[in-house]
Amino acid sequence: MGVKLWLLITALALPLWSASEAAACGTCSVGDPTLTIVGFEQPSAKRVRTSATARHRNDRIGEENVDQLLLSEQRLELAGAYSPTDRWTLSLMMPLVHRYVTAVNLAESDIWAPGDLEFRVRAVVYRDRSFAPRHLIGLIGGLEFPTSSIERDTEGVPLPLEFQAGTGSWDPIVGASYTMFSDPWSLYLSSVAIFPTQGTADTKAGTSFRQTALGQFQPWTFLAFQLGAEFRIDQPGFIAGVRDPNTGGHITYGTFGIVALPHDKILLHITVAVPLIQRLDGAHEEGLAITGGLVYEI
Amino acid sequence: MRSEILTGAIVLALVFPHCVMVTDGIEVDVVYEAAAMPQAVLTDMGYRVKLDRALISLGRVELLECDNFVLQVWRLFVPGRAKAHEESTPTSLGVPMIIDLMESSGAVLFAGTLRPPPGRYCGIRVVSAPADADAIASTPERADMLESVLVLEGVVEHSETGLELPLRVRIAEVIEGDMPFDEPLVFDGPRSVTVSVRINHIQWFDGIDFAVSAGAAVHQKLVENMKSSLAAERL
Repeated sequence: MGVKLWLLITALALPLWSASEAAACGTCSVGDPTLTIVGFEQPSAKRVRTSATARHRNDRIGEENVDQLLLSEQRLELAGAYSPTDRWTLSLMMPLVHRYVTAVNLAESDIWAPGDLEFRVRAVVYRDRSFAPRHLIGLIGGLEFPTSSIERDTEGVPLPLEFQAGTGSWDPIVGASYTMFSDPWSLYLSSVAIFPTQGTADTKAGTSFRQTALGQFQPWTFLAFQLGAEFRIDQPGFIAGVRDPNTGGHITYGTFGIVALPHDKILLHITVAVPLIQRLDGAHEEGLAITGGLVYEI
Repeated sequence: MRSEILTGAIVLALVFPHCVMVTDGIEVDVVYEAAAMPQAVLTDMGYRVKLDRALISLGRVELLECDNFVLQVWRLFVPGRAKAHEESTPTSLGVPMIIDLMESSGAVLFAGTLRPPPGRYCGIRVVSAPADADAIASTPERADMLESVLVLEGVVEHSETGLELPLRVRIAEVIEGDMPFDEPLVFDGPRSVTVSVRINHIQWFDGIDFAVSAGAAVHQKLVENMKSSLAAERL
């Protein structure tokens, strides 16, 4: 009975980890946006999931009263994931991006555009036991496709990366994760690096490394609380070979999330990410980020 | 069923309409207007100046906030350090331009568009600095403007005595001229205005006695006259 209860709680708890990501944009995201759909629990063979995730974030780029841009971004990420075996999970995620940019002279740009399609594979390469593992180590690989549109000014020159819904480039993704379960507590660590290539508009986002550390407490089967930190460090971005001065540097967010299971096939999650340490290059300040969504297991 | 839902979601995402709406903000178009050039300029000291060549290089134009206007004017007493192709900002244009005052006589030349933040702007500053090879209207024939801000060539003759002197002026120092507006430009929301900077070189030779003055004295008086001849007007 005890083992069954533990298995049940673990099985319910595992998907709840998935709400760990901070809000993100095409060029300045934090965390792993596909974790919502993939999760980091042991895959369940033949499982199919879909999800819809909404993200909101604010950004200030440039010097106030000189060249500052205020960015408000909302993203809707539609995703699907399939696990052919209990070691592999494949996922596809397509973001729909809304960006509202206000320039220092009150000029406004309202942009609705598709972002970069993202494909990821997660493979469990180590588990301490087949059923109800306490320790999982996984490898992550993936690719971002240049499906986002490239925004240009009236003379056809690509706008800065901050205006773009994605990088517009083929971006390989490599990473690894570790998960530990000790009911009712869980711990998740992941490291992911993204290597943007030259974009379709002669833009090049810098290589980005993201680190996630997340703890979860699940006092009830239907509700869990998460507390974590998200770290991101970026190389500078370039437009037409010229460095974008307000790109690069590192930032650390503190995150707090709540995950609920109103139904055995439905997971709801909301996460607030607060920037704690900002050492971004140039004049660049990221604001509060909020993520909320739904995962449905078919 | 599963694959249909997945496929549908991805297709929906891929065909998501791409839409960009841009609303213009505060914009200030800046134009230069050179006064019409007569056959000869008659000065207040009785000289007739016939110009064969008159070129000026303008390096920067900048809106002056009312609150900082006194400070900005004070900078007039600090040696200028302007150079060609300065970085443009929402309140300044750093694109150098060479104006041929003979060819552009009476013409309106578009300098560029400023996109300043909301505020009160009481004047505009024009900085004359040596051009670079990328300056607007830069040509090999005007290569001397790479080292000069003002080049004047012609002949000066006194209308009574008949004294005739060659005129060759080359000024290399950076010259700043501040022009207050009749009324402040107040921007509290998106709008577009045009500001004209008038260059009245007809007055440049006033107060100069070419018979007794030469070299630095003529240069100094020319610079003073040049500054005072500039005027800004909102169109």
